[in-house]
Formats: sequence, structure tokens, C-alpha cells
Amino acid sequence: MKNRLLILTLALAFLPLAAAGQPATDDLVSSCVLAAGENTTYLKDFRVQLPKSAPNAAAPVYKANMYLMKNMKYRFSVCDAPGSGGELYVTLYDQGKEIISSYNSSSGKKYSSVDFICNKTGLYTIWYNFIGGEQGSGVGVVCMIR
Amino acid sequence: MTGTITKIAAVILLLSFCSCRNSNVRQGRPAFPVADSVPAGEAEKLSEEAVADIVQNIASPVEIASILQSMQVPFSAGYLAPTQGADRLTTNFQKAMMLGIYGADLGYLNIYGKTGNSVDVLSVIKRLADGLRVGQYFDFETIKRLSVSKSNLDSLLFLSVNSYNQIDRYLRDNDRGSISALMITGVWIEGQYLATQVALNFNDEILRDRIGEQKIILGDLLMLLRPYRGSSEEYGALYGMMEQISAKYSEVKVSYRLGEPETKEEDGRLVVVQHEESIVEMTDTQLAEIAGLSKEVRNKLISGN
Repeated sequence: MKNRLLILTLALAFLPLAAAGQPATDDLVSSCVLAAGENTTYLKDFRVQLPKSAPNAAAPVYKANMYLMKNMKYRFSVCDAPGSGGELYVTLYDQGKEIISSYNSSSGKKYSSVDFICNKTGLYTIWYNFIGGEQGSGVGVVCMIR
Repeated sequence: MTGTITKIAAVILLLSFCSCRNSNVRQGRPAFPVADSVPAGEAEKLSEEAVADIVQNIASPVEIASILQSMQVPFSAGYLAPTQGADRLTTNFQKAMMLGIYGADLGYLNIYGKTGNSVDVLSVIKRLADGLRVGQYFDFETIKRLSVSKSNLDSLLFLSVNSYNQIDRYLRDNDRGSISALMITGVWIEGQYLATQVALNFNDEILRDRIGEQKIILGDLLMLLRPYRGSSEEYGALYGMMEQISAKYSEVKVSYRLGEPETKEEDGRLVVVQHEESIVEMTDTQLAEIAGLSKEVRNKLISGN
């Protein structure tokens, strides 16, 4: 009987831990879409998790490619996961040329979202980094502005 | 006593398994074998980076519909794919293709707020997603409730598009890229059908540009399908049809005018206006031919022949 109680106690103790280990990124995506504001339509999300950058090495980056269309307005939003070490920012590139970034490293100013009024249809590259190459997790959301 | 302990241990093992499986689903890793993945030896393997380069948002189920709505083009149920024959779809090829086609139709219905009409489409999507073992990513009950109540269009749009994104992510993460490619192609062909059919009746420069610009995207879509074209007769036929559409675009010209982006701050938000521009040159004849072939291919795909 003692063994039975012990096993049941262990089971009840460990099962919530297993459940807590599951990511809650979907909730984060929903809240980030909500934070993108009214008159936007969600298109895509990117779940970003990066380690701290190693000394004398380039900061880790999450890269994604996305077709953006002429005559469309896009909003790129970023949201940090609770407990994330770093602050997430997004940079948009067109064929290697930086178009826009939500973080200005010179002034230290960071925006939670940036708007892009697209006039050239093509494949763009989106980079997600954490400021200062910190470890962190978060989501990037791309919406269409109606 | 030993028997009781064994039973309890078995229950714990079972619960642990369920927990891990759920965790895998949320993280996009399969806990079951997949019969429809194309073995590496049968497909010309694209590098993961190359595939990632081309698959993100090749076709969105809502962008074309959004343009049509901004043009004040009236909604027409006549553009929707019929849902009656969906029960007869047997192969994963057909299910994945139609999942994409109905996804674009759902986007069209939702953007126009015709949510009461979308229950049939939703039911078919749910069946197809279940058939492909990705139904867990389609929150049918919530989407249906929002559709029927017409209470929150933004939430409905988010949940619908997010379900498709999750299905696509899961398929790609789990070596079922061939199924993902079909779903993406389905979304693309239905969007193309919708855009071209409307363009034949409404002369709108933005819509014409959008159709012409598909020349760029179509090249990447073909690259996405290419590794699987030899995997089955159906896949080979699809690839051939997409090549035919691509050939119709050969004389469409897309050029670029250079310009520097302009950055400004509006209401505390950073805004960039791009001044580099893509310019499409497409004649009425080219448009008519592209529209005709796109319709033919789309109708062939929805008829399952």
C-alpha cells in the first residue's frame, strides 16, 4: 500500500512538470497579433528562440524569407516571451540591403512594430535578433494593414 | 500487491506517453510514422535552406481576397470550389490540394464577412485535415462558432490563417514537404483563379499587376514542386500543368525602377515607404490566356481528374 501511495504521489508530482515544459508560444502569437493593432490582418508568425552569442562571434540570428507584394502595407511586430533574457527586434532586407529595423543601435531606440509600404514585389529576408546578442525567446508577427 | 504496483506503473507510463505526445504535437514533431513523406532517395533533395527560402508565404489565403474587397468587387459564391465531391477524395495528393483550395475559399469568405456561408467549407476542411492527420491544428469548433455568430471577424481571420500556417509548419518540420507543397499550390491556384476571373471583368491596375507578378512567384513554386514530380503520376501531371501556366507568363515583363526608401515616424511608429518599384507589362491577350489556363488547371484539380 505504501508503494502504491508513493508511486501515485510521484506521478502527480511529475505530470504537471511535464505539462509546464510545453511551450506557450500560441498564446504569445495571439497576444502579439492583438498588439499589432486594429485594421490589420495576420499573415504569418515566426517563433524565435536564440542562444546568447558566444564571445567574439556574430550574434545568433533567426532568418526567414517571405514574399511581399507591391501596393500592400505590412506591419512587422515583435513580442518577447515572458522571462526572455533579451529584447527581440526585426530587420527587413531586400537582396542584402537593409530596408527597415525596429531597433536603432546608434540611438538605442526600439519600436515594438514597424510598417513597410511595399512597392516592389519580391522575396524579402526577415532577420530576428535579440539586442546585444542576449539569449531570448519571442515571436515575430507579420500583418497586412487594411 | 505486485500486480497493483505493475498496473499503477503502467498507468504512469501511459500518462507520460500521452504527455510527451502532446508536447511533440505542439512542438511540431511527429510521434507516428508518416506514409506520405517522399523518401530522400525518390526526390531530388533541396537543401533545407533553399526550401525555407521559397516556402514562406508563397501564397496567402487572404491577400488576393483583400485586394478584391478594396476594389469593391462584389462577392460571388460562383467563384468558390464546390464542396459536394469532397467526400470522394481518396489520395493524400487530392486531400492536400483541396485543403489548399478550400483554404483560399475560406479566406475569400472571411474577408468578405460571408461567414454564415462558410460552414460547409469549414466542415470539408476539417475532414480533409483529419484525413491528412493534421486536424489537431485546425480549431474547427472555435472557428465554426465565430463564423456562425459573426461576432469577431479579426479573430476568425487570425484563427483560420494561423491554422493553415501551423499545418504547413508541422508538415515541413516532419518530412512531409510533399504534402505541404501541394497545400501551398492549392492556395496559390485558387487565388490565381479568383484574381484572373475577376480581372477579366474588372479592369484594375493593382489586380493586373498582382497577376503579372505571379511570374516571379511561379518560378519558386515550380522549384518547390520539382523534387516530388517523379514521386507519383498525379504529382507529375500537376508539375506539367504548372509548367504550362509558367510558359504563358514567358512574355510577361517584370522590370524594376530604382529608388531609395524613405523613413518617417508616424504616431510613434516607424514607417518605411519603398520607392524602388516593380513594374509589370502584360497585354490583354496575355492576361486572357493566363486566365483561361489557370481556370482550366484549377477546374481539373477540383474535379480530381
